[in-house]
Amino acid sequence: MLAPPVNRLVTELARLPGIGQRTAQRLAFHLLSAPEDEALDLAAAIREVKETVGRCETCFNLSVGPRCRICEDERRDPALICVVEQPGDVIPLERTHEFPGRYHVLGGALSPIDGIDPEDLRIAELVERASENGVREVVVATNSTTTGEATALYVADALRERAPDVAVTRLASGLPVGADLEYADEVTLGKALRGRRQL
Amino acid sequence: MAPRATRLRLRDFRNYERAEVALGENLTVVTGPNGAGKTNLLEGLYFALVGRSCRTSVEREVVRVGAPAARLEVDTEGEDHRSHRLEVGLAPGEPKRLTLDGSVLDRPPACVRPLVSVFMPDRLTLIKGPPTTRRAHLDQLAATLWPARGPVRFAYAQALAQRNAALARVRSGRSSTAALDPWDVELARLGIELMEARAEAAALVAPGFAVRAGELGLPERAELAYAPRSLSGEPAGLREELFERRPGDLERGFTGHGPHRDELVLRHGGRLLRSHASQGQQRVGLLALLFAERDLLLERESAPLMLLDDVTSELDSARRARLAEAVRAGGQVVVSATELEHVPGGIERDVTHVEVQDGTLRDRAPTGLASAA
Repeated sequence: MLAPPVNRLVTELARLPGIGQRTAQRLAFHLLSAPEDEALDLAAAIREVKETVGRCETCFNLSVGPRCRICEDERRDPALICVVEQPGDVIPLERTHEFPGRYHVLGGALSPIDGIDPEDLRIAELVERASENGVREVVVATNSTTTGEATALYVADALRERAPDVAVTRLASGLPVGADLEYADEVTLGKALRGRRQL
Repeated sequence: MAPRATRLRLRDFRNYERAEVALGENLTVVTGPNGAGKTNLLEGLYFALVGRSCRTSVEREVVRVGAPAARLEVDTEGEDHRSHRLEVGLAPGEPKRLTLDGSVLDRPPACVRPLVSVFMPDRLTLIKGPPTTRRAHLDQLAATLWPARGPVRFAYAQALAQRNAALARVRSGRSSTAALDPWDVELARLGIELMEARAEAAALVAPGFAVRAGELGLPERAELAYAPRSLSGEPAGLREELFERRPGDLERGFTGHGPHRDELVLRHGGRLLRSHASQGQQRVGLLALLFAERDLLLERESAPLMLLDDVTSELDSARRARLAEAVRAGGQVVVSATELEHVPGGIERDVTHVEVQDGTLRDRAPTGLASAA
């Protein structure tokens, strides 16, 4: 029904996460009717990001150039590494301005259902990094899901075996800040209770 | 105080075109001839409170023949001592619609409605069916007793699915056996958590089960015991067991060991209630289990609403008297029977009596409300 170039655009858009056929069609028609420079800017932005942004060779975070800004930053503590699943997970941690160390992006979480085994993640690279450069502590900040927890346990095991001097820690989970106990859900509260600490 | 249901309205549900019933604070008795719609009324109450049927997974069959949609409304008094209204709209081919006080939601929250405990002939599968129904029941009890532990069973199921997927990948040569390592660890961690919750829940309910079973008429000693597959009490131990069983698991293609193979064993006189008891004894066993759980929840001031369908027909008068005491021990109960005289305590003053005749309700209690067909 549609001209072949339009069809192609719809097919490509529909490949994006969260975009179905219908939305893809709407976006395609929007682009068709948009001013030419607007649509071409989008195309150029996509091209630029694919041509210039790669993975940091140390931490596998997104990076323009061989190493990312955080790994290049001499003020960041190289002996402290925070392990996350995705590049997007670095952003909220950075926004806290609390973490003085560097990162390691695994590129996902273990999930055989999705065909993701340990070899598919940057775990070997993490172990190598931790065992070489006088690393003091690795903070595991994978998600608090089944796959995230399994990944955390696996990473901790691998580090204990290959880099026994490195302390491995896990992000705490518990009550949101400013929350009333009265309104906390039982699951979060139960977890907070189990993870309580000495005052 | 535990939440309770105060009033139920049905529209085009099963054999009811329109019906409304006010529920007693304690005991409500539903009487009527066979086929009049007593069970349907109890099912309607369950459906309105929980959002699904306790009898069928084919929900469209609850819509009255010839009607486009069924509609159920139940008024409740919540933990906050305020009244709430839960509504369910069900039209075949359309998504089911649940609302609380007018706003749409996925599942009615526990604080506005009572838990519901059901005795119906179909529920005998809990006693004589496969272990999976008893495991699920035990997990549900644990989740009710300790809400914070509720998600463990789902997390365990996810980890199990991941390990099974890893087994399949190793079998087909797409992964090395190292891919199983993280899932042995995770499955063991969650497995031990799940086993602990089950063991504690079973230990809490076991004494009450023995007592109630004796009262309600099992002649010999009744026992309830959690029978875990693994005797390990530590994640490291269970992990070791999983590791040892890898070759067999790889051969079969699934995980053959762990709490997903546990059993909740019910015995009568040392023999399995599941296979070595009469139907009548199994019914008493189920009743004893439900009452033992009710007793536990009563202590925690969260007594469930009990729906007891045709529970008295096989009991002799002494047992009926015992049942009456159990029913009177607290909490809201709805009982169905063909004759009021069969219901223990059914003629006491504070009992709400509802008569069903061909899908029409008639209220017999002074406090009650009549319905129109």
